[in-house]
Amino acid sequence: MEERLKLASRAMQAGMLGVALAGLVTSNFMWMPAAMISLFISAIPAILRRDLGLVLPVELNFWIVLALFLHVIGGFSGFYDNVPGWDHLTHAMSSSLVAALGFVFVVSVDKYVESISLPRSFLAFFIIMFTMAIGVIWELMEFANDQLTGSRLQYDLDDTMVDMMFDSLAGFIVGIAGAHYLTHTAQEHFVKSLKVDRARKKIRGIMKKRARSKGGK
Amino acid sequence: MGEEERVRAGLLSGRRPDQILEAQLSWIASLVLFFSTVYVVLKVDVMWVVFGVAAICLYVLPIVTMRSLFRVLPWEMTVLLAAPLLLHISSGARSMNDRFAWWNDLTSLAFALALATIGFLLTVELVMYTSVRMNKPFAVLFVIMFTLGASGFWEIGEYINDEVFGSSYVKSNYDAMTTLLWTSIGGILMGLFYALYLKVMPKKRLSTFGLIHLYEVQKWRKG
Repeated sequence: MEERLKLASRAMQAGMLGVALAGLVTSNFMWMPAAMISLFISAIPAILRRDLGLVLPVELNFWIVLALFLHVIGGFSGFYDNVPGWDHLTHAMSSSLVAALGFVFVVSVDKYVESISLPRSFLAFFIIMFTMAIGVIWELMEFANDQLTGSRLQYDLDDTMVDMMFDSLAGFIVGIAGAHYLTHTAQEHFVKSLKVDRARKKIRGIMKKRARSKGGK
Repeated sequence: MGEEERVRAGLLSGRRPDQILEAQLSWIASLVLFFSTVYVVLKVDVMWVVFGVAAICLYVLPIVTMRSLFRVLPWEMTVLLAAPLLLHISSGARSMNDRFAWWNDLTSLAFALALATIGFLLTVELVMYTSVRMNKPFAVLFVIMFTLGASGFWEIGEYINDEVFGSSYVKSNYDAMTTLLWTSIGGILMGLFYALYLKVMPKKRLSTFGLIHLYEVQKWRKG
C-alpha cells in the first residue's frame, strides 16, 4: 500500500512537470508558474525529511501531491471551466489538506511545548477554525487577484460561498476525525512517528551554529 | 502604607472608587449590549442574535462563577462588544450608509474588533475554566485564527440565511469580500494588540477583573 501511494505520488509529480514542459513547448505560459510552484511544494515533505528528519505520514504526502496535481491538471486542461464542481472538489481537497497539516501542527505543539496543553475537543475546534481561516485568506487572495489583475478567479457570490462551505466541511471532517483518531491511537505514538523531536534537535543545532558563526564575526 | 479610600456602606462596600467607576462603566456598556440583543431577538435577526448571545455569555460567565458583580470585563472591551450590534441596529446607520462611503467599512471594522474581542475572551475563559493552557504566541495565533474563521462562518451563516429566509445580509461578492478583508485586518491587529494590552495593564486592574490567570501561570507544567 505504502509503495503504491509513493509510486502514485511520483506519477503525479511527473504529470505536473509534464504540464510545465508542455506549457513551455506550446508557449502557453498561463499555467506554468502554478505547475512549477506546485511541483516545488510537493517536494517540500521530501526536503523536510532530508534536512530535518521530519517524517510526514505517507498518506498525508499522497494527499498533498494529489491536491496539487488536481489543481494544476484542472487548470491546464480547463476543467475549472468545463467540469462542473471541479472548483469545489479542489477546494475540498486543499482545505482538508490544510486541516490535516493544522492537525499535525497542533498535536506536535501540544506534545512538545511545555506551556501549552490542548485537550482533544479543543484540538478539533482549533482545526475547524484554522481551516476556515485559511479558507478566508484564500478567498481574499483570489479577490485581490481579481481586483488587481482583472482575472476571474471568483465567479459570483454563490460560488465563493459554496467554496467556503466546502472548506468548512473539510475542516469539520478532519477536526472530528482527528480527535476521534487520537482517542484510539495514543497521541504519543502518532507524534513519535512524525519524528518531530529529531527535527527539533536539528533545528536547534542549526540555530546554535548560526549563533556561533555570528558570534565569531 | 496608607490604605486607599474605600466605600463603606451597601453593595459597594470595600471597593475603591476607581474600581466602582470601572465596574459602572462596564455595566452600562453591558446593558447596551443586553438591550441591543433583546432588540435583535424581537426582530428575529438570527445572525446578530447568535453574536449577542455569545457575547453576553462570555460577559456573564466570570460574574456568575465568581459570584461578584465586580468581576466584570474591562469597560473598553465591553464597549467593543456592544459597538457592532449598536451600529447594526441603529436606524441612523442606514442613512449614514448612504451618506458616507466609509460608514460600511466602519461597521465592518467594529464587527472585526468585536469578533477579535470574543476570541480573546474565549481564550481567557478557556484557560480559566478548562484544562486548556496556552502561551502568549499561541494565544495570539488563536485569536487571529478565531477572528478569521468566525468571520468566514459568519458570512456563510448570512448567506444561508439569505437563501433560506430571504433576508438580505450579503448583497454581493464584493460586499462579502470587503467584510472579510476588514475582519482579517481587525483580527490581526487585535490579536497583537491584546498581547500588548495584558502586558501594559496594571497588575491591580488585571486582578480586579480576574484576568490575571492568562499568561501568568508561567511556572505551570504539564502533569
